[in-house]
Formats: sequence, structure tokens, C-alpha cells
Amino acid sequence: MRKITILLTFLLFVGMQFANAQQRTISGKVTSAEDGTGIPGVSISVKGTVVGTVTDINGDFRMDIGDLHEILIFQYLGMKTQEVEIGSGTTFNVILETDALLMEEVVVTALGITREKKSLGYATQQVDGDDINTIKNDNFINNLQGKAAGVNIKVNNNLGGSTNVIIRGSSSLTGNNQALFVVDGVPISNNLVTESGQISGRNGYDFGNAASDIPASDIESVDILKGAAATALYGSRAANGVIMITTKKGSKGRGTKRWGVNLSTSATVGLMDKSTFPAYQKDYGAGYGWFYSAGPDYPGLERDYDINGDGELDLTVPTYEDASFGQKFDPGLMVYQYNSYDPASPKFKTATPWVAGENGADYFMQNTWSFTNSVSIFGGGEKATFRLGYSNTTATAMMVNGNLNNNSLDFSGSYEIVKGLTASAKLNYISMKGKGRNSTGYSDNILSSFRQWSQVNVDYKEQEALYNDNTRNITWNPNSPSDLAPAYWDNPYWARNQNYETDKRSRLLGYAMVDWEINDHFSLMGRFGFDTYSYLIEDRKAIGSASGEFGVGRNDVTSGYSRKTILYSETNTDFMARYHNNWEHFNISVLLGTNIRRQNNESIWESTQGGLIVPGLYSLGNSLDPQAPPVERKATIGVNGYFANVSVGFINQVYLDGSVRLDKSSTLPADNNTYVYPAISASWLWSELLKNSDWLQLGKLRAGYAQVGNDAPFAAINDTYSQNPSFGSVPLFSLPSTKNNINLKPERTSSIETGIEMTMFNSRFGFDIAYYKNNTTDQILPVAVSTATGYSYKYVNAGEIQNAGTELLIFGAPVVRNKFRWDITLNWAKNVNKVVSLDEGLENLQLASLQGGVSINARVGEPYGTIQGKDYVYNDAGQKIIGSDGYYLRSSTSDNVLGNINPDWMGGINNRFSFNHNWVVSFLVDWQQGGSIFSLDQYYGLGTGLYEETVYTNDLGNPVRNSLDDGGGLILDGVMNTGTEDEPVWEANTTRVHGDDYRVFGWSRNPNAAFIYSATYIKLREVVISYSLPSKMMANSKALHAVSFSLVGGNLWIISKDLPHADPEASQGAGNVQGWQSGVAPSMRTIGLTVNVQF
Amino acid sequence: MKKIYLIFIVLIGISTSCKKNLEELNVDTKHPTEVPGNFLFANAQKALGDQVSSTNVNLNNWKLWAQYWTETTYTDESNYDVVTRDIASNTFQEYYRDNLADLKEAARIIGGEPTSGEDEEKAKENRLIIIDILTVYSYQRLVDMFGNIPYYEALDIENISPVYDDAEAIYKDLITRINSDIISLGSGGNSFGADDIYFSGNVAMWLKFANTLKVKLGITMATVDNGLAKSTVEAAFTGAFGEGEGCELEYLGGINSNQIYVDMIQSGRHDFVATSTITDMMNTLADPRLYSYFTLIDTSSNPEVTKLAYHGGEPGYSSSYTQFSHIPNTGVDAASAGGDRLDTDVEGSNVADATFPMVLLDYTELCFYLAEAAERGYSVGGSAEEWYTKGITASMNWWLSKHYGPGDVASMTADYLANTDVAYGSAAGDWREKIGNQSWLAFYYRGFIGYTSFRRLGYPVMKQVPSPYEGSGGTVPRRITYPIADQTLNAANYTQAASAIGGDLLKTKIFWDIGPVPSK
Repeated sequence: MRKITILLTFLLFVGMQFANAQQRTISGKVTSAEDGTGIPGVSISVKGTVVGTVTDINGDFRMDIGDLHEILIFQYLGMKTQEVEIGSGTTFNVILETDALLMEEVVVTALGITREKKSLGYATQQVDGDDINTIKNDNFINNLQGKAAGVNIKVNNNLGGSTNVIIRGSSSLTGNNQALFVVDGVPISNNLVTESGQISGRNGYDFGNAASDIPASDIESVDILKGAAATALYGSRAANGVIMITTKKGSKGRGTKRWGVNLSTSATVGLMDKSTFPAYQKDYGAGYGWFYSAGPDYPGLERDYDINGDGELDLTVPTYEDASFGQKFDPGLMVYQYNSYDPASPKFKTATPWVAGENGADYFMQNTWSFTNSVSIFGGGEKATFRLGYSNTTATAMMVNGNLNNNSLDFSGSYEIVKGLTASAKLNYISMKGKGRNSTGYSDNILSSFRQWSQVNVDYKEQEALYNDNTRNITWNPNSPSDLAPAYWDNPYWARNQNYETDKRSRLLGYAMVDWEINDHFSLMGRFGFDTYSYLIEDRKAIGSASGEFGVGRNDVTSGYSRKTILYSETNTDFMARYHNNWEHFNISVLLGTNIRRQNNESIWESTQGGLIVPGLYSLGNSLDPQAPPVERKATIGVNGYFANVSVGFINQVYLDGSVRLDKSSTLPADNNTYVYPAISASWLWSELLKNSDWLQLGKLRAGYAQVGNDAPFAAINDTYSQNPSFGSVPLFSLPSTKNNINLKPERTSSIETGIEMTMFNSRFGFDIAYYKNNTTDQILPVAVSTATGYSYKYVNAGEIQNAGTELLIFGAPVVRNKFRWDITLNWAKNVNKVVSLDEGLENLQLASLQGGVSINARVGEPYGTIQGKDYVYNDAGQKIIGSDGYYLRSSTSDNVLGNINPDWMGGINNRFSFNHNWVVSFLVDWQQGGSIFSLDQYYGLGTGLYEETVYTNDLGNPVRNSLDDGGGLILDGVMNTGTEDEPVWEANTTRVHGDDYRVFGWSRNPNAAFIYSATYIKLREVVISYSLPSKMMANSKALHAVSFSLVGGNLWIISKDLPHADPEASQGAGNVQGWQSGVAPSMRTIGLTVNVQF
Repeated sequence: MKKIYLIFIVLIGISTSCKKNLEELNVDTKHPTEVPGNFLFANAQKALGDQVSSTNVNLNNWKLWAQYWTETTYTDESNYDVVTRDIASNTFQEYYRDNLADLKEAARIIGGEPTSGEDEEKAKENRLIIIDILTVYSYQRLVDMFGNIPYYEALDIENISPVYDDAEAIYKDLITRINSDIISLGSGGNSFGADDIYFSGNVAMWLKFANTLKVKLGITMATVDNGLAKSTVEAAFTGAFGEGEGCELEYLGGINSNQIYVDMIQSGRHDFVATSTITDMMNTLADPRLYSYFTLIDTSSNPEVTKLAYHGGEPGYSSSYTQFSHIPNTGVDAASAGGDRLDTDVEGSNVADATFPMVLLDYTELCFYLAEAAERGYSVGGSAEEWYTKGITASMNWWLSKHYGPGDVASMTADYLANTDVAYGSAAGDWREKIGNQSWLAFYYRGFIGYTSFRRLGYPVMKQVPSPYEGSGGTVPRRITYPIADQTLNAANYTQAASAIGGDLLKTKIFWDIGPVPSK
């Protein structure tokens, strides 16, 4: 880490060297107070001039200073700056001390304003750009996992999938709870492109978060502003916290060069973590039981067809059943399987042994590869800087025919037009292309077939060959020997190669800015920031595919083409005037500003109707039936904001900060669209009182209170009608399902926050602890109402959510030797979320109703996101009651709280070892404790008998799937009432139930509660080994400046988890509906090698 | 320096120029704020037709409960599971939100439309009456499904906790409403014109519809208020549908296809087959409608021999699609493709065709109600046997004439009626059994009407399913349980309603369901 900082610093300051002219030479050595070694790369300059140099690898320096003789400044990131009078001296040996405030002395706050961290009355956390550029994946956000306290980052494993970023808990009942992303002070879109249906478990694709477009290689640092106090200046959208991204800017080159070049290349391979993929039983094949037509000898098979043409009916497999609760395998038993039905199959009319497929579903999964290459050229002189960066990432999917390709071209530059007046601009063009993203959700998702609906007798290598040789949908799941169309599932190779989506996003974002420092006290800033993209999403279903919901209207069809275009733009126009002044014991800064935001989000979605006519032609014109009208949407939003901020500091010890913002929003009723909200915070550096203490370097107490107002979603005020496809020539219009509300008022979040920061023992130990409580009230939400009202939802101002929590950041350096250093950083956060109230008379707000009969809800008195469904029935002693049939009783109602999506706490611990200044080894362990998941994969997969848990030896020593007569079956754990209803007598259950009946393990006979799992996990998130070529070697090189290699492992080991066969983090995508898994992607262990070269 | 100020002034000027249109930004330019009431009425008609014809397991499982069909592999709904997919919530949504709310809004808009002249005034009045007639139709179905339902306080978004009203009181109010509608509509005139997708604005047909509906309301009340039932039926039957008349939604195909086609053919899914409950009975009776209802299937166990038969699966058990009869489609099951359809069958003649019409109410239904009325001693212009025979004849005509010429239809019908197990005089059982069995057969594919007929008359004898859902009492349910959503969204009223009807269970009976307890 430090090595890289050294190099960066070197780059920053070395360029000043060439400007000198005269003859007087001074020299010296800069050493560290910590271990006495020389520090390379310390910048030394003569105050008020551009004359300067940096120390060499040993910490030595030499420079010509001409006739200057005032003050030398020694600066090094993370160390206290020293000023030394030059006078007539020629040798300067300087010892630099570690800065108590560490490297984050300066933080980036709202609107891109940099502030001294010590003056802040609220918590922020900075993550260095290199830390989010370790694992090369398609989304830099993922690399924040475990690195920031109080930031709940949930990564699913979908290709290019969206990442859920929740800071300090969910505060909005139905609105957006994702953090706001800001690049260089300008908000950018982090829209989830996903359809709402997909989020709540219908089939679809996870198109990721728009913020992930930003290439990690362009990121200098990320600041996380957690509380409302930190974000008051962004207004409404910042109520969920802000991820502030500072991108790399131009600077002077190395040595006397005015420019430099950075190159980075990396290759990463991903290997499936098998603990997150189904493990199948190997004893029973296709079917649901013993009732098929082949008779008592082979009750799991059929005898209805003559396959080989010998005039006798043959034993066939019930291929249309997507379950594995059928006939027991027997290598001696020859049966006709799906591969004997199709003339194209090598096994046509051939019986094959009845055994488990040699190549199971894991054969289908492949290693992923991703390659990231980036190059940047930067440079500058006294007045101008520029940086031109290009980066490309390609990634392949874990299933065939899927990849992502992201190209980013970024230019930023600045020029000082006249003294004090700087114009700067940034333009970033991003082209993101996706192909073959994996489907998510319950149906039409290969992974839900693998996890829920499959036959373990299928050999996927054979499926691959049959597809590749014929390019036809020869599926393992045909209706029958006489009807080879798929019953439910395609050949997965057909599905991947023929029924794939493609998407293409072209994006341009950036800003133009003018900064004018009128004098030492006044400055003005004007900035126009923009983010605009067009996004085209196309989806295909080839003729001959299994039926599935598709296109506009989402009818079940067997082929189709769908096309969606999204045009998005956001502009922010900001003006700020700043004044600051310092007196001896007092300083003040005042900021006045305005922010004019406009957003436009348009989309049009069209699809074929009823299927396709010409195979392989994916055009809207190729529609079997006349097309349904497209779904069109155009949402325009505007907010005009005005804000003021005053900061006052006394004797460098006490800081007070107050701000107020007024917003006028287009989405609220015209007579009530203006709202004002204040924020105030204070910090006290009490360590200033103990200035001479040896053990204490920093002690700070901080506290703040803030409010944030929020407006309504687009078009929630006035009622409109919705149009349905015309019936012949009769237009059809309908009332919408949501009743809008002309009386909406702004919603509010109030928060308090307090914290203590301490750094001690020569900066080898420190911590930052924060406590906060946020209440969001008067929420604008569409409450679900009984449809007997004629509507499904009604917009109201109602409800309150409280989030209270504690965050802890501890860092320490247990060992610091000459050439060895061990750092530990620990993040820990606990957030307690509670739904305080909903609309009057309303106890529960359903966020989503999901397959399996469970729902995700906001329930009064419970944390946000309860998972509700059918529970067991318990007696007074809390034992599960078994009914007279030997199966569990189930509650009659489906609104029982079975769990909730919120973790109890989350933490991460990072150990970092550096040797000899050029080796660094670090590993990060990430821990989430608690939270619940309803696994639809287990709910169905256990029922269909896929998983290994459904085959075992029972208490009698026999296979559980034997018939009861054969000593099979099982006795469920619970109690039975042997008394009367009024006077129950509870005795342990002794009723043996069929183990050969598919109902016993899965959905059919068990309550939802049986499939609730803890989401707890402990993961070895990241392991980094990096090596930099020794600085000495570099110092001798004319061309090269720095070379480093790093080997990075991601998600190498799930140390502990409760959820079988899946990654507890996996989901259908980001959003408010979490805690439900269906057909989720397995997690990949990634190993990547990166080479960085700087010239 | 002045230049710098200028830059800032220009920039500020640009930014303030876009401030003025803030209010205009919140306008949804893709959706209208005003539409003619007729188009809401048409939408309500379409939504109602789609709901009645749907066979989507999330929306409409009545064909399974009536044991016309059963599911092939995933048999939860055939075993009366209504909870997993919260079918009741979807039903509330389809009726209240997508049908009744649009009817109410149509009435509100039409009520405010200016008219010029007496004809237009009359047409406006008629439109409002027709809206009310269709509202009565929908409410009756809701009561027959659930029992007590939100009625007087329903469809008012300002009251999100509507009271569930007493089912019998609702019925009586519906009868009052239909009486008044019939009187008002009696004087003729125009109405919706082509915007009416059932009757093209034919007021006379709406009047017949209203009278037929009145018979239906009346006869359903027979078990609880015989006097009211008698007077209602007797007053209405003469004005009801005549032979060959009925209310149908004629589907157009394409995006306006019959929902059975959408769910079963367009989807490519093979989820349903015939039940043995219906195929056994029809095979025994040699019912010629078997051709119209189902496909033939090879039931031979010898590959050399083909033995085609109508063969239904056991209700609630897994049934392989290819081993059992299913419902026919002119295209998929065409004779030229080796299927069993007649070459003369044209698109629209088979149940699973895109343009096959959905019957909402017709003469066939009326006849069986009147047969029952006659048995109950009402004066309905004919004997039970006459109406029974007319009902069967009407059904035969409706189904068979889609495939055969009039002569064939007549002779097939005559043969059928001559069957001693069919003829009213000789068929087994009391009038409930005779009318129950034949009306159930005639109501095929109108799942809810068939199911309600079974509940009212106790016939046919339904089969036992293997895993009847909790609360069904082990047999065919007597009602559908309330929406799960209402347990929380309208909790107090839900609880009150559940206790008022005797428990929110599948086995709880609707107020009129107090005839002799049927055998399963």
C-alpha cells in the first residue's frame, strides 16, 4: 500500500524539479520517526515557489535552490508536514512523524468539497482506489465489501449483476434504499435497469447497477458519507448515504518529464465454489414416485410405447417429469431414455443402463475468465494538467455464450486561464455490452432447473453433444416419445446458445467546471455535470423452446423477440460561492450554493406477440400475431436546491458546522413542493488539551443532528388512465392499479449521530466508534390496499422506519520492524432496524409476494423485510405438532413471521503484512451474522428429490426411499396429540411416513418455515500478494518508473455458512426484495494476476 | 476580470432559464387524464370475459374444482390448494379492480357526459343501466365464490377498510337492482353501439341478459327464501334469452385470444387433461359432445393395436399428458397432422382455439334453472322435463353445430335424449341428480358455473382427490377462502367476516348452500 502511495507522491511532486535555474545546492536526508529508515519519495519544495524535488530511494535529496532562502516544506502523505527555515544552511536532515490523522486527513465531502477530516462532526470512511481495484471484476462496488463499516454490500453472482449497497440500514419502505453514487462531485445514475417483476422473482435478467460502468482503474479514492449530516448538501437523494468517487486526474510526470504513463493488465480466472452448487443424490432417477404405468416391478417407469419397433411395449422413463423421485437406479436395468427417441441421437432406439448421469449439472458450469487492461497517459505543466485513460474489461460467464465487454475512455483536464481562474472538464465515454446474462428467478432459468427441477439421470455432456451436433433443442425433458417438444425445460445448451439476451449501453458522463479564487478569502465555482446513456436490451426465444413468460404482457409463449430502449439523462448545474478566513484562534468558512437538477428517463418496450414466424429472425415484424402496443414511459423530474453552510473552528480544537437546504421539487403538489431542512454538527479535538502526551496522538469527539427531506416519485400526484390493447377497433382504457394523491407532502429523515475517534501509541493503534439513530417519517409510499377498493395501491404519507446502530473501526499495527510491518484493520457494524408505524390501521405492508407462498414485508414492530409464510404449528411447549397422518401441521394463515432479511451485524477484518517495502501480503475475512433466507431452491429441490439429503439410511437401517413395506420411510421429529383437542396429551411422534413419496421432503407437506435458513457467512473475501520491483532497480532505470505484480484471490473460501448448496449472498438482484433465493448463481473463486507498469 | 464575471453571469443565466418549467415536469405525457366512459366499460367487459375464460392456475381453477379437468404433474390446485398462489387475491383483483372499478368509473364519466336530444339522453340512461346489470352479474359471482364480501363500502379508495357485507343481504339488493334495471331498460333505445363488445349496444339483448340473470339470482335463493325465489324467477323467465341466444365474448384471435388458447396452446404447456369424472360419465352416456370437449387418445397396451378412446385422468393424481384426453385445438389436433379433428373443423370450432367464444350467460343455463324451478313448483311455462330437454338440446346445438351440419346435430341430439339414462322420465335418481348431472355436462368449460351447479344440486358425484387441501373437509370445497392479503390489509373486517360465515375455510358453505348434503 505504502509503496504505491510513495510512487504516486513521487509522481505528483517530481515534476517540479525542472523549473529551477540557479546555482545554490542544498542536500540532506529524510528519515522516519517510527523506525529511523530513510523515506523515499518525500516531496521537498521551497514555499511559495515551484522549486522542489523528492527524496531518492534512501531518503536522500539534493536540490538547487538558486537565491531562495526562505522555507523548505517536507511533505509526505500520511506524515506530518514539516517546514524548515533555509537561512544559509546547506544540509537538512529531517525526521518526519506519522500524522495522527493518518492518510485521510483530507476527505471529500458533498459536492466534491474537500474538508479536513478533523473538522467533521460526522463519520466518513475513505477507501483507497487501489483497494477497490484489487479483484478485477465487472463492478468496482463489489470490492468495497468488508472494507467499510456500516455499508452493507451484497454481491450476487449474476454475470454483471447488481450489487445491493445499503448504508446504515433501509430507511425507505418502498422507495430506493440504495446509496447515491457521485463522481467528482457530480451524481451519476445507479439505476437498477431490472424489471420490477424480475426483482420480485419472476424470470428476467439482472442488468446490474449503472454505477458499475465506472472503471476501477480510473478511481483515485472512494469516500463513504454515511449519515444524513454528511449528505445534507445533496438533498433528498443522499438520505441513503453517498459513495463519493474521486477519479484520477492529470499530473506532471516523473522527474523532469511533463508526462507519464501507467499500464495495467490483469487476467482473472473464476472457479466455481462447489459448496454453493447442488450436490445431487445418485440413486434415483426421473419421476415423482411409484405410480407409473410399467407396473409393480418398475413402478417408476412407463410401458406405453414401443420404442425399438419390435412390437413390444418398452420400459421408458417419464421424461416429462422434472424431478428425481422415480425409479431406483440399477445398472443392470436397461431403459429407453430421452436419447432413444430422437433419430439424431446416437442412442436412437437404444436402451441404456438406468444410472445417474456421468456428467451432472456441474459439467455445464464453466470457469469464468476476465481480462482487464488499462492505460493512462497523464501530464501537465504549471497551468495545465490532463489525463487520458482507456480501460477495457472483458468477462466470460459461468455458462456458455455469455460475456461482458466494457470499454471506457476518460479524459480530464484543467487549465489555469489567469491566476486563480481554472477551467476543468471531464468526459468519460463508456460502452458496455452484455450478452447471455444468466436468467434469474423461478422459471425459464437454467439454474432453477439445476437447483429445483431436474433429473439426476441426465448426462449434460450428452446434452452438449446433442445440441452441438444438431443445433436443435433435443432436451432431456420431452413430453413423450411421441411428442419431443420440451415439457418444461430446454436442452440447456440450446437455451444458452439460442435464447440469449444482448444489451448495449452507451454512456457519456462528465462535467465542465470553472473555479475562480478571487482572493485568499473568496472563491466562486460553477459546474455543469451530466450523465446520459442509451440502453438497448434485446431478448430472444427461438422457435422450438420450452414455454415461458416473455415480452410485453408476459404471456407464456414458445418463441419471441423483445426489445427495450432506455434513454436516460441527468444534469446538475451547481454554483457555489465560498468565503473563508483564519484568525489566530478562530476560522470560519461560509458556503452558499445552488443545485439545479433535471432527470429524464424514457423507455419503450416492444415485443412480438404469440411467437415468431420465421425461425432465427429476431425482428418485431416477425410476430405471429399483431403486436401488442409498446409499453412507453417518460419520467421527467426536476429539483431546484439552494443551500448554505457555515463552519467555524476555534483554536484548532472545536469545530461547529451548520447547513440548511431548501429544495423545490417537481414531483410534489405545486402548493407544497418546497421544503427546508437543516443539519448541525460539532467536533472537539480534546487531544489538543493533552498535546504533550506520549501515548495519545488524536482524540476527537463528534456529534451531529440532521434532517433530510425527500420528494415523491414521478407522477404520483395526478391520476391518469392506463391503456390496454384495443379489442378490435374498440380502445380499452382502465383505471390504474395505484391511486395517486394530490395531497402528498415531503417525507423526512431525521438523524442523530455521535462518535469518538482515537489514535494512540505512536499511531500504532486507533479506533473510530460511531452511534447513530435515523428516523424516516411521513414516507411517501404506495400502500397496498384491499383490491375491494378498486385499487391495489394508494399513495399516502405514512409510516416511520427507525435505524439505530453502532459502527466500529479499529486499526492497529502489532508489529513494526525495520523491514516488516503488520497492520490489522477491523470493521464492525450493527444496525437495528424497526418499522415503527405504517399507515393508520395498517400493520403490514407487503413488499413482494413470491413463489412458494412467502412474502417480504414491512411489519409494524419488526425489522424491515420480514419473511412471512406458513409456519409449523407448535404446542405450548414449543414443539412441532405432527398431524394424524404423520406429517407436520401447517399454520392456516400465511402471515407468520419466519425471519427477516437484516443481518444482526456485519464485520470485516483485514490483515496486511509488508516486507522489505516491496512485498505485501494481505487477507480480508468478511463476516455477516444473522439474517434469514427463504430458499425456494431447497423448497422445491428437496421435494423433487434432487439433493443428496433426500437419500439416506433411516432409523431401521434401510434406504429411506424404500417403501414402508420394505422398511423405508421416516418418522418426522415432532409431537402428536394423543389426548383430546381440549385436553391434549403430547407424545413423541411414532407415525412412519413414506420416504418414497415426493411430498415428504419438500414443498408439498412442509410449511415454509422448514426452508428458512440463516444467512450467516464467514468468507475469506480477498487475499492479495503483491510484489514491486525494488525501488533501487527502478531508480536506475531511465524508462521504467515502477513495476508491480499482484496475485489476488477473491472469495476463495466460504469458511462457514448455514445455507446448503448456495451462497447466502446470492439473489435475483439488488433492491428491497431480498431474503429469497431461486435458481441463484453459484459463487466463483477468483484468482487473478495483475501487472502494473508506470513510466 | 470582467470577462470572468461575464462567464459566470452567462452560466447562471443558462441555469435559471430551465427553472421556470418545474411544474410541467411532473406530467405523465404517456397516459391520458381523460377518456370516454365507453372505453372503460369495454375494458371491464374484456377483463370479465378473460377472467371467466382463464385457466391460468393463478387466476381461475374452477375447471379443476368442477372436476372437468385435472393437472398433469403439478396437482396442487387440483387438490384445492388456493393458498400457495393466493388465488383469492388474484380473483379479488380481477373482479374488483379490473372489472367493477372500471364499471364504476365508466358510470361516473358517462353520468357527466353532456347529451343533446332525447335519443342521446336515452342512450346515456341505457348505458348507465347496462353498466349496473353487468355490475350485478359480477357481484353475484363474487358472493357465490366467497360468501360475505365487501359490497356497500367497496370500490371507494377513501375507505381502505370496507366492511364485508352479509351475502344474503347482498343477494337481495342485487335482485332489487336488477328489477329496477329491467324496468328502466324496457323502453328501448340505443346504448354503447360498437363499443359494447358483448352485444354491440343491442338494448333488447341486454334486457334479456338482465332477465336471465334475474332467473339465476332467483333460483339460487330457492333454498333460503323460496317465496322471493319463486316471484323473482316467475317474473323474469319470459323476458329471458330465447333458444340460441346468450351473452358471449367473441374472441378475435391474436392479442385478443381466448384465454384458454393463451394458457394452453400459445404457451405450449401441457398442464391439464380431462378427468375421469367427466369422461366416464360421458362414455357411459355415449355423449356426442365428447368430440367437442376432448381429444381421443390411444389407450391400447399393444403397439400393434390402436385403441382410441376418451380417457380422463383421476382428479388430483399425476396424469401423463400423452396418456389422457385433453381439450382440442383445431390446429394442433388437426386431422391432417394425425390428430382426431374433423377435416371440416375450422379455426374457432374447438375449445382451445384462439377465437373460441366465452359464454357468460345463455339459454342453456336458463333452461336448467327453469327445469329446477319447475321441480320446485314455480310456474315457468313448462314442466321440468321440457326445460331439461330444452337445456340438453340447446347445449348439443351450441357445441355440435361447430362441427356438424344441422341434420347430424338433430339426429345426434335425438339419439342422446332417447338414451334411458338421459331421458328425464327414465334417468336414475331424483330431479337433483338428473338436472345436476346434465347441467354439469352442459356447463362444461364454464368452470365456475359447473362448480356452482354441483354445489347447488349435489351432483354429479365427484371423485376423491388424494391430498385435499387443509380446511376443505376432505372433499370438494364449498367456497374459496378470502384473499391472504385481506388478512392483513383489511384485518378487522376480514376477521368479522370469517366469523360471520362460520370460519374462513374451504368447507364453509355459502348461505344458499343448504340443500341435501351431496355424496362427496
